Amino acid sequence: MGVKAVHRITTGRNGLGAFILQCKKMDFHYCDWAGSSKGMNGFIKSILPKFAAAHPQIEFTVSPRPSKHPVITGHYINGRDKAICVRNLEPLQILKKVELLRDASGEKLKKVTKPVQSINESVRGIWSPYHGNGMRV
Amino acid sequence: MKRLRIDPRWPIQLARPVPAGAAPSCCSQIHAALRTFRPDQPFRAVRHQSTSALTLDSALEAAAADEPYDDGTDHVRFPPLERLPNATKLPSPLPERALTSAKLAALHARLSLPQKLPLQTLARALVDVSADENPLFNNVNLAFVGQTITHYHVAEWLMCRYPRLPMTIMYAAMKAYAGDEILHSVARSWGVESAAEPGGEVDPGLLQFSMYKPVSHIGFGYGRKDNSQVEQGRWRRGIANRVLFDDDFGEQIGHDTRKKAQIPTSSQRTFSYGTEETRAAAERAHAAAVRAVVGSVYAHCGREAGKAFIRAHILSRTIDVSTLFEFKSPVVELARLCQREDFEPPVARLLSETGRLSRTPVFVVGIFSGKDKLGEAVAGNLDHARYKAAMNSLKSWYLYSPGESVRVPSEMLVEGSKAWEPTYIDIGEIIHG
Repeated sequence: MGVKAVHRITTGRNGLGAFILQCKKMDFHYCDWAGSSKGMNGFIKSILPKFAAAHPQIEFTVSPRPSKHPVITGHYINGRDKAICVRNLEPLQILKKVELLRDASGEKLKKVTKPVQSINESVRGIWSPYHGNGMRV
Repeated sequence: MKRLRIDPRWPIQLARPVPAGAAPSCCSQIHAALRTFRPDQPFRAVRHQSTSALTLDSALEAAAADEPYDDGTDHVRFPPLERLPNATKLPSPLPERALTSAKLAALHARLSLPQKLPLQTLARALVDVSADENPLFNNVNLAFVGQTITHYHVAEWLMCRYPRLPMTIMYAAMKAYAGDEILHSVARSWGVESAAEPGGEVDPGLLQFSMYKPVSHIGFGYGRKDNSQVEQGRWRRGIANRVLFDDDFGEQIGHDTRKKAQIPTSSQRTFSYGTEETRAAAERAHAAAVRAVVGSVYAHCGREAGKAFIRAHILSRTIDVSTLFEFKSPVVELARLCQREDFEPPVARLLSETGRLSRTPVFVVGIFSGKDKLGEAVAGNLDHARYKAAMNSLKSWYLYSPGESVRVPSEMLVEGSKAWEPTYIDIGEIIHG
């Protein structure tokens, strides 16, 4: 045959067609005795129901973790998870942490130095010494 | 490409789902009765009363078992945090449990599935044939519908976008967009988790499949009369033969190539989990789940919703089709192409060079047909540069595209669409050798 084929697969581009929120589950652990969990208990009673209703694509779990600080764990589609201890925080501060978890992808935090990250090659192309007017020495 | 299995002019709308407030006990009895229904067995007017009663009663008993689920822990000292499911001998969870599963509802919302698609159908789409053999409760039929629709839309989009693509490359592109490996990846990107072992007590939001049961998933095509002759290499299996007989990826039906995972064995990838068979089983189950979701969107929400779903989740993915090519004798092929198209015969010319006698020479070779440059390439020696230039010329021919947003024939099924202008259809690829 003239042309053989190489086996390759496509790359997904989240958001181009459909957008999949990367946070798929959030666990909320509270304690009825510890004073550090006061804000968390208030958050679960007052703010969490509305937040959960606004994010139907996230699975929420609320469970007691006695004698421990309150913790929120976010589970992501890439299999990793992120835990944030919310001891001694007010409900609105806890909401900020929850929004942080919701907006994160599961990737490890990386320092970004370049302005553009893309899978496409450059539009103007890479300079070549063999094309164009060459180099006059 | 093959003819369409299901005519998209006929939107299949299923009946409205049972509302959540409906009597659950009678539902479970009906579902249990359906479990004993074997559509493959011939209808018998006279039935033995005892045997039918036995099967129906045992099924009802299994469904309505009320003893608490025994997971080996002390439920008095450590009361369970959630209401545990009842112990059951059923192979997959009852459909009404789909309404109380948080994972399933989250999956439904994450995919932005329309409200017309009930949770019960989504739960059914996650039950593989290796988990439950009963076709009324597994995703086999939904997966078949979804596979047909997916392959149709992917094929039509590829053909309209790359009208000159050779058939082998078309098969590879189809596989890259709609094959088992990529749909497995799509399922994982949706956050579909799988149960460790299938059973009636698992969460309905988990993908249920068994890694150890050898089951064959449905393909569509024709088996050749003498597969053994083809395997031994005595009979040719050319491209036209493949278009006629094989499935949409050019692979043989009824041939045991599906045992292995789609990842080629010559690749350098090593896995730290499972065996070849278990990985292949997981891949097939995940791919079937994605196809079943597509099929359920088509069935409940209509033809255009199915097409939009495929465009959003499958066709939005990207691949550089030029990387799929592997040429055998590109110089000869290019000469034949120019001969067929009545171009002047191709001539390779050196455009620029440097360092011919040094350790690292660079030659820029262009292939010209008369005064037109068909392609060029850079390499370390003259022959390699000529071959590469021929490959680039052939790629520039085969990869001609009228654009990404080209009109496809299925747009004409929409009412009020503009008059159809014929898309570019190519005469065919170069055949030689």
